[in-house]
Amino acid sequence: MSMDPEMVAMLRDNAQRYAADNYSFQQRRSVLHNPAGHGIQAWRDYAELGWLALRMPEDCGGLSADAAAVGAVMEVVGSHLLMEPILASAIVCTGLVLKSATPSQQANLLPRMADGSLKLAFACTDDPAPRAACELRGGTLTGSKIGVLHGDSADQFIIDTCNVDAGGVPALCLIEAAQVSRESYRLVDGRGAANLRFESAVAEHLGPERGVSAAAVISEVCDEASVALCAEALGVVRRLVASTCEYLKVRKQFGKPIGANQALQHRAVDMFLLQQEIAALTQAAQGALERPAAGRARIVSGARAYVITAARHIANEAVQMHGGLGITDELDISHYFRRLMVNAALFGGRDQHFLRFSEETLSSL
Amino acid sequence: MSESMLQARLRAARLKEEIRHFCAHVMPADLLAKSRRHQVLDKADYLRWMRLLQTQGWAIAHWPREHNGQDWSSLERFAFEDELARQGCPWVIPFGVKYVGAVIYTYGSEAQKRRFLPKIANTEEFWAQGYSEPEAGSDLVALRTYAERDGDHYVVNGQKVWTTYAQWADWMFCLVRTDREARPQKGISFLLIDMKSPGIKVRPIATMDGYHHVNEVWLKDVRVPVGNLVGHEGEGWTYAKFLLKNERTAGALVGMAWHALHRLQRLAKEQGLLDQSLLRCRIAEYELRFLALEETAYQAVEAMMDGSENGGEASLIKIRGTELYQDIAAATVDALGPAGVAWDAAALHAGGLPPLRPDDAGGLLKDHLYNRAATIFGGASEIQRNIVAKVVLGL
Repeated sequence: MSMDPEMVAMLRDNAQRYAADNYSFQQRRSVLHNPAGHGIQAWRDYAELGWLALRMPEDCGGLSADAAAVGAVMEVVGSHLLMEPILASAIVCTGLVLKSATPSQQANLLPRMADGSLKLAFACTDDPAPRAACELRGGTLTGSKIGVLHGDSADQFIIDTCNVDAGGVPALCLIEAAQVSRESYRLVDGRGAANLRFESAVAEHLGPERGVSAAAVISEVCDEASVALCAEALGVVRRLVASTCEYLKVRKQFGKPIGANQALQHRAVDMFLLQQEIAALTQAAQGALERPAAGRARIVSGARAYVITAARHIANEAVQMHGGLGITDELDISHYFRRLMVNAALFGGRDQHFLRFSEETLSSL
Repeated sequence: MSESMLQARLRAARLKEEIRHFCAHVMPADLLAKSRRHQVLDKADYLRWMRLLQTQGWAIAHWPREHNGQDWSSLERFAFEDELARQGCPWVIPFGVKYVGAVIYTYGSEAQKRRFLPKIANTEEFWAQGYSEPEAGSDLVALRTYAERDGDHYVVNGQKVWTTYAQWADWMFCLVRTDREARPQKGISFLLIDMKSPGIKVRPIATMDGYHHVNEVWLKDVRVPVGNLVGHEGEGWTYAKFLLKNERTAGALVGMAWHALHRLQRLAKEQGLLDQSLLRCRIAEYELRFLALEETAYQAVEAMMDGSENGGEASLIKIRGTELYQDIAAATVDALGPAGVAWDAAALHAGGLPPLRPDDAGGLLKDHLYNRAATIFGGASEIQRNIVAKVVLGL
């Protein structure tokens, strides 16, 4: 069901205002140096603003946000490089809980996720090292996961695993951070992550009696994450294009603004064209999420593949046109650049999505 | 989304349905076959085609109701051109119904509307566009063809170039300079010139696709009645810009890219090339670029309708549409192998066959050659980028 466009516009305005007042590039610096890896106050503010309950149904105090509404917030996440686990906890894990957990599990989790007191992270990447696969057996979990976004600060984890008791079918289970041995580290953009290991750890199987396919739920939620990342990229590239155009007007070389050079004008235009395409594809992908699975995969993966490449080009050009300043830590440009790098590695990279798009498109040939 | 936009989308979707039905059941098979093979269409073919569109009620449906149109939205007109091109239909020649028609009903006198619009509507009179000159192409404002007032006539001297189908034209709408002193944009006027007037000479320009579509038009002491001036003297640039905006938001670019991409896919399959992972990957890349083009173009058209445009939409569609189309056409010729470079002009006419199969190889080659100019005419890609840099980015 799609949301009232006025609601979406209001959400967008509020988010922009909040970020402008509370999350300027300078204010963000202190968050970057916070050992928690994200802003504690900001996280409380997001709960107040309702962002942590965006995806939740109205009877849980949520906003029942559709993809466009989620995108409105994610654009601001991108434009201000918010460091908190909005995507990981409020979008991805909330989605997993809503689609797979039993009503009593939901009643236990959702209110605490909405008020910010419980942060979840989704562990979906297996350790490529030949360690034992992650397995759920007799209510306990054994195995390891790597590169868990915001795994450093999560209170609980949702683990993508297989249920040995049921013949090895995919399953989702919930595990307390205390049950996990975790190795925390920072990603190149400053956000936290962790590698996890569990050894016969007590785990709660999410919603086995609901009979939903964990694989289908994961695929759906990963698509939602991909579309949210498209919107985040849009927020990022809008800033990069605007900053670059501004810089072209003020930076003088050989007695004139560098933007007076047609070569640079045309490259700036190409950045803008890509930005417009990112906007259009993001909107298309948001629409596709509301449609049945058949048409969803092609548009979502196509959009994601195109957006990753286009955003990377924009970021490269933004750095290039800022000259040496573009690679400094002092300027926001390099922070946007690094954020896009990390995002391109989340929920399937460019090649994986392009391959999926290609298969969906050319399967009839 | 607004209710009116939702309605426009529904109407556009319905129109596309009707066009598919039309192509399957109404469109004369010989004309469609010729067009789908990219063979040469002559004047009679085009007259038949344009009149058929008028019979369908489509040729001037984007005109206002008071001039017998149906008040189509830009979205419907865009979808119309898109779907016809997807189906491989002939080009909807825009000079009359899309360009000068709109200028006349927007800026023309009552007498001009009565005299010209009905004959434009059913393509009783064929129009050409007298814009470019040897030293005024994308830099149109540099044009020098001069019209001097002499009583109730203008006397026109100068030269136009790249004039498409001037050899068939009954009339030419023409940008001329009426004031050498004024600032370049202010001294331009918009004249309607009868191609039978004494002093007009049309000379064909041979192009690498071997098909006669562009010309030089020489004007020597051509007398044009003052009544054929559209709007006000010196305001021609305003009308020209109005018209250029229509020229650039061509849905046909989207449809042509789609049609070409599907032909390439069939070709790859027929030639057994699909197992080559590189070609498969190339096709998928074009599909992805097509998805971006289609989504961006339709959102741009909607932005222009609801007033949220940034001024760069038409340029964006033109840049991306022509780039993609050219790349697909080049890949198609590559996939044809030896047939892609075999040239036999006779193959471009009904009944003719190219030296090597498939039967449309010659047409695909001709199309590739002709459309090499797509990034040049109608405002070269470089000019489009200049426009976006200036209008949108403020550079």
